[in-house]
Amino acid sequence: MTAKGAERAARLTAIVLALGLPVAALIARWAGWGAGRDSVIEIHGALAEAGGWAPADLTATVGEPLRLRLTSDDVMHGFAVGQSDWPAVDVAPGEVTETTITFNRPGKYVFYCTRWCGVNHWRMRGTIEVAGPTTSPAIESPPLYVTLGLDLDAPHPADVIPERRPSADRGAEPGATIPVEFSTGEYFRAHSPAEVWRALRASPASRELADAEVWDVVAFVWRSNSTPESLVEGKRIYAANCAACHGETGAGNGVMAASLASQLTAEFGHGATKPADFTDPAKMLGASPALLQGKIIRGGMGTGMPYWGPILTESQTWAVLSYLWTFVMD
Amino acid sequence: MTVALAATTIAFAPVPAATVTPVERHIRIEAKSFEYSPAVVTVNSGDRVTLELAATDVVHGLYLDGYDLNVTADPGQPARLTFIADRPGAFRFRCSVTCGPLHPFMIGKLNVGSNWLMLRAVGLAALGIVFVTQRCRGAGAQRNL
Repeated sequence: MTAKGAERAARLTAIVLALGLPVAALIARWAGWGAGRDSVIEIHGALAEAGGWAPADLTATVGEPLRLRLTSDDVMHGFAVGQSDWPAVDVAPGEVTETTITFNRPGKYVFYCTRWCGVNHWRMRGTIEVAGPTTSPAIESPPLYVTLGLDLDAPHPADVIPERRPSADRGAEPGATIPVEFSTGEYFRAHSPAEVWRALRASPASRELADAEVWDVVAFVWRSNSTPESLVEGKRIYAANCAACHGETGAGNGVMAASLASQLTAEFGHGATKPADFTDPAKMLGASPALLQGKIIRGGMGTGMPYWGPILTESQTWAVLSYLWTFVMD
Repeated sequence: MTVALAATTIAFAPVPAATVTPVERHIRIEAKSFEYSPAVVTVNSGDRVTLELAATDVVHGLYLDGYDLNVTADPGQPARLTFIADRPGAFRFRCSVTCGPLHPFMIGKLNVGSNWLMLRAVGLAALGIVFVTQRCRGAGAQRNL
């Protein structure tokens, strides 16, 4: 009798365990135990045509680590957060990349794909809304092209073109003292090389210089406003983000240019807008740094040029620009 | 007996030493829509080879079998791989980055020197055919007697 009772108790225990454990696990999952503060967000990457990032809108809190598990549903993608120093990671199908990001400042960040996954690669973006104590109402100053009221879409041909390629090395030699008003950062950023050339030409300081020598001085002004480090940084950013369309040599004939044209034709009915040619002196010498920075920040609006405002920091845009002018000036 | 000796010779005879002096080679391989161009690269044994991989549509990679080398190139950022081709033979190279639906079929071939393994196999096969036909003929002759 007792043996039978023990057997029945054992059987009951086994049944309760077999049924109860899975149910308990389900309840725990439903109740959200183990989630909470250090929850992990799983993000799937897909081609922009197939929906891009899912989810594409994240929220985070200042100072609290945002833990992400990244994977891809089709091809190789990359993940990076704009305006931040977190290193980009690769997101491969069939693999999970874990990354943890902590934000120091509140605001709206943009994350984006860093591997060329297709012609719509640059459309793979998402946002991270970072909430936090807004102790300092950081009023961001508008970009320079807004302050100056520049029209980014107006043509900007240079009215004077140098006969030979301007060289900063030669420009450093003549010993012509550059009037101090030309060497300030504000003046430099608001004026095109051609305008600086005209101003220098009219200045009594350059009376003894030939036209080509004045161009060399202009090249020297441009080099004085960049550093070797910013040129290296600009070259790196250019290679990673710009060269695919604008070409490694800056001639606007990058490997993606052809497919970009056919894609634009399909989307907008026009495909004539080619990537800008940075080796064209008429274009490059007629544009001020503020104008070109505006084009980078705002993007091309229907031309296939992405808007880089949420991705590149201000110093990064200046670094890219200082590299761009090396295509027409030494 | 003669056949066995011939087979051993074909299979194990030492390869004549390479007479060509190694050179520096720079080969640009373009990767686009699941194919490499050129897809077959031939070098001499001992050459110092630089493969420049240029992707022209999406990110591609190149993993070289036998040498265990890998390189990845995004459009606009050609990447280089330099190595000394000291292992003779034919080696496949394949895309190492999932680039799209036909990614598994994106392959190419690197030939280093003459493909002695292939030549030996052909030699042995020819010897086998000769041997079998001889025996058949011999058997037929015996039956006719």
